[in-house]
Amino acid sequence: MTMLKEIAVELIGMFVAEKWLTIGVLAIIAAAGTAVRLAGLAPLAGGFVLLFGCLGLLVESVWRYARAGAR
Amino acid sequence: MLMWSTAAPAVGAAFVASLVEVVEAFTIVLAAASLRGWRPAALGAAAGLGVLAVLVAALGPLLDRVPIGALQLAIGVLLLLFGMGWLRKAALRAAGVIPLHDEEAIYTAEMAQLAEAEQAREQMLRRQRNLGWAAGVTALKAVLLEGLEVVFIVIAVSAGRGLLWPASLGAAAACVIVLAAGAVVHRPLSRVPENTLKFGVGVMLSAFGVFWTGEGLGIPWPGQDLALLGFVALFFVAGLVATIVARRTGLEFAQ
Repeated sequence: MTMLKEIAVELIGMFVAEKWLTIGVLAIIAAAGTAVRLAGLAPLAGGFVLLFGCLGLLVESVWRYARAGAR
Repeated sequence: MLMWSTAAPAVGAAFVASLVEVVEAFTIVLAAASLRGWRPAALGAAAGLGVLAVLVAALGPLLDRVPIGALQLAIGVLLLLFGMGWLRKAALRAAGVIPLHDEEAIYTAEMAQLAEAEQAREQMLRRQRNLGWAAGVTALKAVLLEGLEVVFIVIAVSAGRGLLWPASLGAAAACVIVLAAGAVVHRPLSRVPENTLKFGVGVMLSAFGVFWTGEGLGIPWPGQDLALLGFVALFFVAGLVATIVARRTGLEFAQ
């Protein structure tokens, strides 16, 4: 039972490295999906939101952690 | 027809990611073997591989039944979460904000843990059997947990493109290399530049994640598969920028 629990924790940990990074990625995907599928934005604009949103989020997440760790 | 613009990153990602994971599993199996002999460690590792094989055999065929758009979207989202997590951690390690993954330290810690178990059970007559069991379970867990990550990466980077076999071969090649190197040196493979490899894998998985997620959402990427190479370059640059920013932030606060 303990082993199953450890495996479950490990599996979740694979995809949830940091809470805000996970929320941010999901929010960007939701925004890109909404833009393309519901708001009628050009698909490439949705792609732009997805790609550059993730790139920006990565830098922000690393910077935020470094700042909190340095304090 | 194999598209090398997609196949090369897929095989490369599967190979490098597997290299990292197999090194981690090997360190723990070696620690178990050093303390209790190769028999329980090898049995545990074999049992872990067996469970993995059953999981792949059971779940693999189900993938064919999922509509390709939904599969790309689901795998793309998971890849983005997984890849960006790796890239973030690798950037923080490269910047010196969090300590590097140390195989020697992990090996020593595993040895200490098993030695502790030995001491606790020394009073018991069943010592031999229990310790063999503990070493076997430790090896099984290591192989199963690291193996699950390898399986996910192989399936994720090859899904929907018929690249399962090339990606699997990339992963298998990594296993063979690590086991051969391990058989020669008989020590934790601490000279593997693990963080650099993780940085590279994080870049590739994140790029695949954006690519598949976009395809799943119906975004027609310019250049189709070639766009993947552009994404790899952009995530590489973003990872470097993040590392520099983290290093500077740390230095600013230190002054």
